[in-house]
Parts: sequence; structure tokens; C-alpha cells
Amino acid sequence: MKKNLQWKVILTLAVIAGAIILAYPFNDTKIKRGLDLKGGIHLVLQVITDDSINMETDQEISRLEELLKKNAVTFQKVTKEGLGRIAVQGVLANEEGKTRDMFDQYSRDWDYSFTGDRANLTLKPLVIQFLRDQSVSQAKETIDNRINTYGVAEPLIQRQGADKIVVELPGVDDPERVKDLIKVTAVLEWKLVKAGPAADEATLLQATNGLVPDDAEVLRGDPKRGQGGFYLVNKVAVVTGKDLRTIRRTQDEWNNPAVSFTLNADGGARFEQVTGANIGKQIAIILDKKVQSAPGIEDKIMRTQGGVIRGRFTPEEADDLVLILKAGALPAGIRYLEERMIGPALGADSVRQGLIAGLVAVLAVMTFMVIFYKLSGINAVIALLLNVLILFGALAYFKATLTLPGIAGIILAIGMAVDANVLVFERIKEEAALGKGVMSSISQGFSRAFTAIFDSNLTTIISAVFLFQFGTGPIRGYAVTLTISLVANLFTAVFVSHLLFDLTVKKTAKKLSI
Amino acid sequence: MQLFKTPNIKFLKYKYIALAVTGVIVLAGILNITVFKGLKLGVDFGEGTLLRVMMRAPSSEGQLRDLLGSVGLGKSQVQRTGTTGREFQIRAIETVNVKAGEQDQLEAHAALADKIISALRGDDGKADLARGLVDLNSVDERTLAGLLETAFPGSGPEATQKVIAYRTDTGVIADFQDLAGLGLKPEALAFLKDKTFLGKLTVMSRETVGPQVGADLRRKAVQATIWALIGMLIYIALRFKLEYGVAAIFTLAQDVLITMSLYSFTNREINLPIIAGILTIVGFSINDTIVIFDRVRENQKTMRGKPLEEVMNISLNQCLARTIITSGTVFLTVSALYGFGGEVINDFAFLMLIGTIEGVYSTVYLSCPVVLFWQKLFKPKNARRR
Repeated sequence: MKKNLQWKVILTLAVIAGAIILAYPFNDTKIKRGLDLKGGIHLVLQVITDDSINMETDQEISRLEELLKKNAVTFQKVTKEGLGRIAVQGVLANEEGKTRDMFDQYSRDWDYSFTGDRANLTLKPLVIQFLRDQSVSQAKETIDNRINTYGVAEPLIQRQGADKIVVELPGVDDPERVKDLIKVTAVLEWKLVKAGPAADEATLLQATNGLVPDDAEVLRGDPKRGQGGFYLVNKVAVVTGKDLRTIRRTQDEWNNPAVSFTLNADGGARFEQVTGANIGKQIAIILDKKVQSAPGIEDKIMRTQGGVIRGRFTPEEADDLVLILKAGALPAGIRYLEERMIGPALGADSVRQGLIAGLVAVLAVMTFMVIFYKLSGINAVIALLLNVLILFGALAYFKATLTLPGIAGIILAIGMAVDANVLVFERIKEEAALGKGVMSSISQGFSRAFTAIFDSNLTTIISAVFLFQFGTGPIRGYAVTLTISLVANLFTAVFVSHLLFDLTVKKTAKKLSI
Repeated sequence: MQLFKTPNIKFLKYKYIALAVTGVIVLAGILNITVFKGLKLGVDFGEGTLLRVMMRAPSSEGQLRDLLGSVGLGKSQVQRTGTTGREFQIRAIETVNVKAGEQDQLEAHAALADKIISALRGDDGKADLARGLVDLNSVDERTLAGLLETAFPGSGPEATQKVIAYRTDTGVIADFQDLAGLGLKPEALAFLKDKTFLGKLTVMSRETVGPQVGADLRRKAVQATIWALIGMLIYIALRFKLEYGVAAIFTLAQDVLITMSLYSFTNREINLPIIAGILTIVGFSINDTIVIFDRVRENQKTMRGKPLEEVMNISLNQCLARTIITSGTVFLTVSALYGFGGEVINDFAFLMLIGTIEGVYSTVYLSCPVVLFWQKLFKPKNARRR
């Protein structure tokens, strides 16, 4: 063997070995299948980031009221003027300086200005941006927690753009349950009931002359929990989900699924004090502004005792409630922009089809090459097989997923691999027809055909790179397999195929089997 | 094996006729897309909900349409797919209030899908569900495992896996008897018969894309294609000459337009995977074009003094064997796919069948003439000197 052939053989064998090691054992753990081939759920959801600004505004209002009182500043009222906008009305002219000092010291996140007896506060743009961004990352974290507790193998949860989150859950077969699990805000509150339940708002507000008192709000019962009607409850919660210490699935005295909880020291103390002072009244357990149940307070509930949430749960619903309460509440509401559910059966079907299609394509091409180009055709077949092997190795290495459009990319690459071989072989024939010897025809054929192969492959690779950069889901899957196969093609159809000729054709050969 | 001796066909003699024919086809396509039929956008681009269902018993499009019509959903498009007569694809068409917010729209789509599914189910299984039975054709693995584990401690997950694997394989369980061959214990089978029922259908997939994401996907698909074209233009212009790059872009634009027109004429929907198909055609076409350009570039070095048109003709003839063999192989392969593959592959193969022929045609009768015209327009002296 010639010396320069030796390292070529070694390089080729090394590539083959590398690809096999990377892709072995050629199953799901190495070659990841996309949702279209495996089944699962793909969700795009948007975090309503306005919620976090609203929440900040509300908090600032109550903080301001407290501060103004504490600093003995005279004011009429503090009002919410909009998203991140507050007005303090009725500030006396001689107290403006004092108020300014107070804002400077305590409300650093807010810009303020005075017009007459009015102080206008606006949340600083940088703070707004920070809050929005934070609410999206917190939402992502919460969803992450929930999905992990629920137990899904290899979930993909990532941010997209300013306020979107993409959730991909392969293999999940109960989309509705998972969707609900992600979407609930899960703000749990205990609030004292002032009146209710009543069939409609008018009946509910009879005692208060049809008006909702300043310190109260009207909430609906959750129909899912069998709680119809309306409740008038205190605005301020006694305890909230944040005060929970432990929470677990249990059964009530009639063996129905229920959820039991205990409270931390702070919340437990408040719960003990409020229940002690309001025996005989009802306390509403509220999840996301819907009353789950409103049991009567029969006795003071001691701080370490905890309690039970009942509400005609199914076992799954009770499990899910525990799960979301453990994972924490979402900082802002979310809505779905895109929902795709692919059942496992459809995925299996697509794999079958894709596999058959791929095999048919490869076999047809190989048969044709061997019949048409005889022994040289075998070179092409080996090059093609090697190309597919390298593709799988690279897919495993880059942890890329194989999708249906990805299979389309492979088919284009197979077509171009065949073309590369055909270009070389036809060129060899042309050179031979000009009367050149076998060895010289081969080397001339390869070098002359190379520019065409190189340019066409590189042009397509360039387009694939752009598609990957700017495209979405399926288009990216297509670009990945195409790029890999074409790069491999330059190696197999040119380098390896040439090497095979050099190794198999005798220098003294008079005729080439082509 | 030698296909034939290098022929001498005057391809470019017919360039004006060919250009006229191409022009008419492209114009008809553009008119059809912009004025008449338009492009039918699929679910991926924000147009509603797509459901794929598999019925327990073979049915027909008419039967399904009647079921949907009885609840006022008669406008939904029902299409039978596959060969079993059980698989159907349903595209929900409804009047969603455009003024409603994004969320309302998506939820309206989702609600509509629910309505379609329950209409297809009809009264089937409602009584069973009310009795607390579980639909074995739609229950998730977790729930079923829980059910079986309570009845047969220790063997629940294993039995569940067998049932679910069978359902994944066939899509729908037609009869409890079919489960007998899975190696389930007789008492487990009896338990399933007692505690579960076989629903009328399985939902194979369900896809809803809201208008915002749809518009986003549409924009990105167009953007990605345009950037890919620009990338190719620059590379070809650098490696060859500017006019070759321009010619390649003209060719690709024609490829895309003709395929799109074809979709418009045959009423097929444009979805994201179809974009991959169109890109594949473009890929084959550009490959073909570059092979010819490469030969022209090479021949120009040795055939000084010959006019470009003649050099091109010689190059086309020299590459003819290769062109026929390559596109012939691809054509054969794709016809095999068209015959063997299922519906998803079938759509793609149909596109490719047209694409392989169109790609070769566009190389000969668009790429080369455009280069010729460009040189005539901008380099009159240069052309004469050659």
C-alpha cells in the first residue's frame, strides 16, 4: 500500500468508528425523535406580564397609604391611574417638600411630579422592564417545578422572545390534564365570608344596600367544586398559599379525596387568632379567585393544627392541587398561543412510514447504481451507507432531533450524494473516451468533477444554515439533517470513493468496470 | 454502461418559445394565487384547528359530515386518510369573531375541537362514562395503570404497558377480543371488560395555532426563505459571476412560484412540512443549475472565441447523460415513495415528482437564457469580443 493511502485509510476507519460509537445502539436514547415522530405535546404560552406591573402598582398604593399616614402627611386618597401609574390626591401645598422627601427615600422605583395638589407617580421604565422579565423567568421556573413534580421524561421548557414560553413534553398522553396543570395561577387564599352564598349578586348585596363595601369583594363559587352562587368576602386574606408549611393528599371522614395542610409559624398565629375571634362565621378557601369551599368555623384552630380542604375532588384533581400548591403560584397569568397534541399512535405511524420511505429510497438508489455502474457502483453504495452512518453519529453528537421534515432533508442529501457519484463517474468515462489511461482517468475525473460537487453542496449548505438561523421548528429540523448529510457527502462521495478506487483498481488495469 | 455518445442538441435554440411557455404558466399561477383561488393556508399558519381521528369501525366521509352537520358543524372539512377507512382528518371551519382577542380565538378553536369530538362520539359511551367506566380508547397510561394496580397489585404497570403498546400500534382497540392475544391474565381481561368500555374513536392528533403565532410562523418561513436565497445569490455571484447568481435566483423564484401555483390549483393546504418540501425542490434545482454553470465556467477557459450561447449548448450536451441519470434516479426513488409511503410522505413525494422535472427544465430554459440576456443588456461589447 502506498504511504499516502495509509493515513487516508486510517482517517476513514476512524470516522466510521467514531460515528458508530456516537450513535450506538441506534435507538431512542441516542437518536432523539421529534414530537411528530414520537407523540407528545407542544405548547406556546404567553405570560401576561401586565399582571406583575399591576401587582406592583397595587402593592405600592397600599405601601404609600401606610407611609403617608405614618409620616402624618395630609392627603385625600391614593388612586390607581393605570398600568404603573398612581396619583396621590389632595396633598397640601406646605407639605409638598415633606412628601417629596418621602418619595425620594421610599419610592425609588418611581418617578414623580406634582401638579397642584396632586402627586403623580410613574413606575420607571427600567423597573417595568425588569418586572416583566422577572415575571417570565419566574413563570418558567414555576412551570418547570410543576412539570418535574408531575413527572415527564425529558421535558423541554424554554423562553422564547420577550414574553413567551415554549413547553415540549414528549410522550405525554393526557394533554388536557397537563394543560390545566400549567395554566392555573394557583393563588390560594383564606378569606372571611361577610355574606353568601347567594344565587345572584342582588340578593347577596341586600344587606349592604346593593353596594360592595370598600374592604370587601364579590367572588363566585367554583362550579367544578359544586359551589354555585356568589360570596361577599373580605378583601384582605387571613392566610395565603405563601403561609403553607406542608400540604398533602388525604381523605376526609367520608373517604373522599381531600387536601390537608399545615401553616408556618406566622400564618398559624394569624389563623389561630382570626378563627378564635370569628367562631360561627364562614371562612372561604379561594383558589384563583374562585371559592372552593366555605366551611363554618366551629372552634379556634390552633396554630400547629392545620386543616383540610374539601371540595368534591376526584383523586386526580386532589393530586394536582397538591402538586401546584407545592410548586408555587405563577407570578402572572398565562394564555396559550399554540397547542399541538400528537398521539403516540400517529407518531408510531409516521416513523413506520418514514422508515419505509427511507429504506425504499436508499435501496432503489443502490440497486440502480450497481446495475448501471457495476463494480464502481459498489463504491457509490459504500459511500452512501457511510454517509447515513455519519449522519446518525452527528445527530447523536449534536443531540439534534429527527423529525419528518428532517427525513425530507435526508432524501435531498441522498439525491445529491448520488449526483456527486454520477458526476464523477460520467467524468471518468469522458476522460477515458479521450484515450487516457485508467488511473489517469480516475484522478482526472475526480478533480474535474470536484468543483461542481463542491459548489453545489456548499450553496445548499449555505441556504440550510440560513434556514436554521431564521426558521422555526420543522424548517430547522430539515436544515439540520441536510447540512450534516451534505458535509458528510463531501467526505464520502469525494474522499472515500476516490480512496476505494485507489485501493481496488490495479495500476496496470486496462479497463475499468464502470 | 454508456447511456449515449455526447449528443449535439440545440437546446437554447428554443429559448424564446420556452420562456413564453414558462411565462404563461407562472403568470397563470400568480393570477390564480392573487386574484382567484388564493393559497390555502394550513393550521400551522394560524387558520384554526386540525384534528386527526381514528374510528373504531370503518366509516365514510359522508357519515362523519352528517354527524357534524347535525350539530351545526357541517362546514368542517372531512378527509379520509390512510387505507383502513378508519382514519380521518378534520379541519374545523367556523366563523370566529375576528374582533375577539387572541385568547378568545384560540379558546374558540379549542372549544370547537371539543365540540367536533363529542359530536363524532354521539351518545356512544355517555352512559358508560356516567356509570364511572373509563374509555379504554382514550385513557392515559397513568390512570389505567392506577386502575389495574388497585385490582391486581404488582402487575398493573406491566399489563397497562401491553394494552397501551397495542393501542399505540393499531391506533384504536376495535374489540376486547383483540386484547386476548397480548398475554394478559384472563381475570385482567375480564376486569377490563367490566370496568372499561371501548370508545368510538381515538384522537390521534389535535393542533391549534392562534393567529399571533400563525402570523409569526408565516413571517419566519418567508424570512428564512428570503435569507437563504440571498445567501445563495452572494455565493454564486462570488464563485461565478454576478449574472449567474441573478440567473440562479430567477430560477429558484420560478421553482417556488410554480410549486405554490400547483398547490393553489390542486387545493392543497400549505403547512410547515410543505415548506420543507418546496425547499427540497429548490435544493435539487440549484444543484442542477450549478453543475451546468460549473461546466460552462470550465469550457469557457478552453473554448475562447466561441459565443457564450454555443458554449452553454455544448455544456448542456456534455452534462446530459449525468442530468438524465441523476434526475432519473431521484424520480424513480420518489415514485417509489409515492407508491409506498403513507399520506404524510405521499404529499411530499407528489411535490418532488413535479419538482425533479421542473428543476431540470428551469436550469436549461431559465438559468442559461437569463445569463445570456443579462450579458446582452449590460455587456454588449464584451459579448462581441468573445
